[in-house]
Amino acid sequence: MTERPSDRPDPILPNAGIVARREFTERVRSRPYAASTLLLSLLAIFVAFLPIMIRLIDRDTTTTIAIIADDVSLAQRSESIMRGVLSTTSGGSPDTWVFTIQTDREAVKSDVSEGRLDGALFATRGASGRLEFTFLTGQGLGADRTQFVAIGTFAVAFLEWTDLVQPSGEVPFLPPTLQVLAGAGPTAGGVPLAATEIASRQLLGTVLIVILFLTMTIYGMWVAAGVAAEKETRVMELLISAASPRQLVLGKVVGIGLAGLLQYIAILVPAMIALALQHPIAELLGLGSGINPPLSGITAGFIVAYGSFFVLGFTLYALIYAAAGSLVSRVEDLQVIALPMSLLGIAGYIQAVLALSGGLSGFIRLASFIPFWSPFVMFTRLTVGRVEPWELILAYGLLIVSIVLVAALAIRVYAAGVLLYGQRPGPRRILRAVINPNG
Amino acid sequence: MSLVFDDLHKRFGVIRALDGLSLEIPKGHIYGFLGANGAGKTTTMRIALGVLRADSGALTWDGADHRSLSRATWGYLPEERGLYPKMTVLDQLVFFGRLHGMPADRAARTANEWLTRLRVPDFATRKAGELSKGNQQKVQFLAAVIHDPEILLLDEPFTGLDPVNVVLLREAILELRARGKTIVLSTHQMETVEAMCESIAIIDQGRTVIDGPLQDVRRSTGRQSVILATEIGHSLAWTGDLTGVRVIRPGIDRVELGLDPGVDPDSVLKAAITRHVPVRHFEVADPSLEQVFIELVGHPPDMDTSLAPIVDHGAGLDTDVDPDASTQENPAA
Repeated sequence: MTERPSDRPDPILPNAGIVARREFTERVRSRPYAASTLLLSLLAIFVAFLPIMIRLIDRDTTTTIAIIADDVSLAQRSESIMRGVLSTTSGGSPDTWVFTIQTDREAVKSDVSEGRLDGALFATRGASGRLEFTFLTGQGLGADRTQFVAIGTFAVAFLEWTDLVQPSGEVPFLPPTLQVLAGAGPTAGGVPLAATEIASRQLLGTVLIVILFLTMTIYGMWVAAGVAAEKETRVMELLISAASPRQLVLGKVVGIGLAGLLQYIAILVPAMIALALQHPIAELLGLGSGINPPLSGITAGFIVAYGSFFVLGFTLYALIYAAAGSLVSRVEDLQVIALPMSLLGIAGYIQAVLALSGGLSGFIRLASFIPFWSPFVMFTRLTVGRVEPWELILAYGLLIVSIVLVAALAIRVYAAGVLLYGQRPGPRRILRAVINPNG
Repeated sequence: MSLVFDDLHKRFGVIRALDGLSLEIPKGHIYGFLGANGAGKTTTMRIALGVLRADSGALTWDGADHRSLSRATWGYLPEERGLYPKMTVLDQLVFFGRLHGMPADRAARTANEWLTRLRVPDFATRKAGELSKGNQQKVQFLAAVIHDPEILLLDEPFTGLDPVNVVLLREAILELRARGKTIVLSTHQMETVEAMCESIAIIDQGRTVIDGPLQDVRRSTGRQSVILATEIGHSLAWTGDLTGVRVIRPGIDRVELGLDPGVDPDSVLKAAITRHVPVRHFEVADPSLEQVFIELVGHPPDMDTSLAPIVDHGAGLDTDVDPDASTQENPAA
């Protein structure tokens, strides 16, 4: 008689489905569910509109841009024309734009990347006489300002043509070229993104990562609290005689996961509407078109990737929360477990935020494969950077393998944990439960 | 056809919960499972249900290993009561019925029938959290029987019930027995066991101390007891001085005496007549189950809930209480 109790013929269905249905119904009908849905929707809408608010506040901020040109006259001409044109065009006070003429290219590049300068404009005269500009954008330089710089470079070229070239009447006007490079932003696998593209992707990524993190933590705690409440009310004693630990854990995770998914959609839809309205509202407020419409980057593949990262990430976290919930006797004691679990999630969330705004360091690339963090970090890389197909497959593969392993462990801990009362969970007890759930 | 527990062993760390427990419970019987707290009753039930596994030993029903049986074979009323407080009674009964393989409509019909039988049909739409503890216990009993299991394991089913509900529940259990169910009653309450059970087992420290038909167990010690009553005003204190006789239940005009093996009950009657005591009642009986339990196990089954003996430090508690009597006398019985 050494076999496990689960040797009893206990197929996962239909009991896991019955448990899931009970969990889903109870959750969706509860008042806290309605309240949290409303609160999170409002939060998501707030985050979606945050960039507009920042730009509104930012309207009078001074932008300092270095100008480096092939010759002194081109530099001086560019400086005076850009200053004049941009101060008028942007409608700000005279000191909204500050242009400084500089000569050391490398020093300027490093100033931009480290935030001492908002941007740098390199002007060269091509063989045909066409002016060629390269605009290096710094951290925090909104895409709307980049567009003003584009207008300014056009003015420089046009005025130079009217002053110097056009009198001879032989050379037609050649519009200047403008290449915009991110001096401090995401580099998408070494390929510089256009600043407008970066801004739009960062916005979308931030909204989605915030929602992903919040919902995964909240739904995970629902699972843990649900298990702890079943122990506290002692209904667990009846449950474990009616269904196996495997059926109970999986039913709970699926039922609460579906309730979460429903809430998720209820949060995401208004957030997406807010993002879609971003463009018209910005124009209405006189902030210019600024960035690309934030939803322009969303494709079917993107939605599938996001949805699957949510489902897999939630499942992984929820299984651990279920096991953790089984180790406490009262819902209040969950705080012991909530903190380390939240820290684990926050570590992934912070890396995702770093990946959104900075480059792709080696550690962030590694983190994008680690199962507890990949839902956040790999998803961020998908949003703002370029991800090789093998990288995506590896991240999904590792996540799925971890779910299977963690599920087996969580069910063992749960089977032992639900019978224990009155003791606080310590590492030794958890380990003992994993090694010998019946001992 | 019977439920057989064969040499079950189970340890939790250094604690030996079951130490070779063996029992045979005949099909269709109400079987009393007696033991003090920590004797191993709940562990045995959890092993039967498959919630725990034994370290060694076998458990079979009609010759088949218990792990090959469906969960629906068993109905379990745990000692720890609990329901989902925010769910209606009907919803939870249907939920548990469905977990045991019942279709939802049949589970609802059966639940309503049972609620009506227990005279609480209006509970169906009420949330469990709104009911009194005793009524929640009735609902939990229904959760254990709704799927019509072959074997019922009832852990302290009457604790916390008022006398009216005790009668209702007893009737329900007897009806289930009449329908051929095998029922295991784990309890401290000797009076319940004597009234309801055909066979019993007394277990202590994970071992079977004795098992068999109730009558055989009661006679197993070879002792008899005598109940003697007299008119008021005639002391019966002398009965304690008789050789081979112990006062089990002292009283002013009525005593219950335990006789050592070989002591003739008539000798007590003769002693009364010799002392010119006007005897109004004289009854020779088998010892109570409680007496058998104390003799075999060494303490009452619910010793934890009886008063500890008074320790006289010479500081003034003036009492004639015999320290031994307080351990023998069980106020709850």
